[in-house]
Amino acid sequence: MFIVLKPSMIVILRIPTINDYSSDFIKLFKLREQVEKCKGIEVIFDFSKCGFLRQNAVAFIGGLARLINHYGGQAKFSWDTMQNNIRANLVRNGFMAAFGGEVSGYFGNSIPYRQDICGDIDDSISDVMTYLDDQWLGRSWVNIDPFTKDEVVQTVLELYRNAFEYGDSPVGIFTCGQHYPNIRQLKLSIVDFGIGIPHNIRLHLQKESLLASDALQWAFQKGNTTRQCVPGGNGLDMVTLKRFVSNKKGRINIYSNDGQIIIAPAKNEIYQSTPIFFKGTMINISIQCN
Amino acid sequence: MIYIRVYDLCHENCIAQKHATALHEIIHAELHAGRKVELDFAGTRRFLTIFFNLAVGQLYRDIPADVIERSLKVTNLEDLGQRVYLDAIDSAKLYYNDSEYRKAVDSVNAEEELACA
Repeated sequence: MFIVLKPSMIVILRIPTINDYSSDFIKLFKLREQVEKCKGIEVIFDFSKCGFLRQNAVAFIGGLARLINHYGGQAKFSWDTMQNNIRANLVRNGFMAAFGGEVSGYFGNSIPYRQDICGDIDDSISDVMTYLDDQWLGRSWVNIDPFTKDEVVQTVLELYRNAFEYGDSPVGIFTCGQHYPNIRQLKLSIVDFGIGIPHNIRLHLQKESLLASDALQWAFQKGNTTRQCVPGGNGLDMVTLKRFVSNKKGRINIYSNDGQIIIAPAKNEIYQSTPIFFKGTMINISIQCN
Repeated sequence: MIYIRVYDLCHENCIAQKHATALHEIIHAELHAGRKVELDFAGTRRFLTIFFNLAVGQLYRDIPADVIERSLKVTNLEDLGQRVYLDAIDSAKLYYNDSEYRKAVDSVNAEEELACA
């Protein structure tokens, strides 16, 4: 669907228009599947069929490029195939600069693209906290009192902390966000290309047949953790996440392996299986602006 | 009683593993020696579960719960921190004080280690 083989083992990966509906996440996970088949070869990202890229796609594609390099191949971007609006956005959010392209000091409505290598977790968490404070919630897009801001940042930091500690992503964690003034929403996407939550839980519980939806439910129960050296919860109980979405009329979607969780205000959380397996975890957070 | 101002070690954010471990070593030594400890959280704002798991939760490994409750005084911990602190303590108590629960968790962990070996 997205892939074109050229002579001398160069692969063209065609990026479609990507929004952040469920079907768009499936498109991203299919791209990941294609990359798994392209180990050790040159991959060119082609945007000629792409009319729009949301922040989830930006974070994801950045991670895919690093993954291609990690697999011994070479990721290249065909910047000339991009429509002007996409190009401008990728300049503003720093994506192009991260991959040797144009640099801009003007962010506009973008929350910068970033990559965190899983090195010293304390340092990474501290850097991420500054990013969330300054770039996500610190730009007057959301009217938020200091207590709620602390609570929101703390909750998202718990998500990062778990990704760093359990994700086992060979290339790190990728983040990008965007303020959409027309729909009054602030969005942030976080993705890793590690083993995924259900896989981790199945290993821990020694239940290979455990459904992804059940594994995710286990992972988000208070006190449950796969951490071995220090017993205690992982800070990701559903009560906390639901309080988070209620506070800011937000929504959290978590995709991992063959499962997903949807957390929306005034609704019970939904645990579902997905029709495609994604080796990694993707978190999409939306909060309502004033 | 030994008084520890957490802010001096962590500043506003109780999120770093290295700070939690340092704190744990001090508290553990003091409680083990039969002395009391006051942990003053004045000025702190943000907290991660791992911080309390490491700093305090681990105490329940070899110090009885009633001794910890009698000898460790936590002061000036705001609501946000209280919530995370209590979660971490509840989990630690469940693990270290409930032998059936601990056996179940340990057997899973042992199988996992074997499977990964």
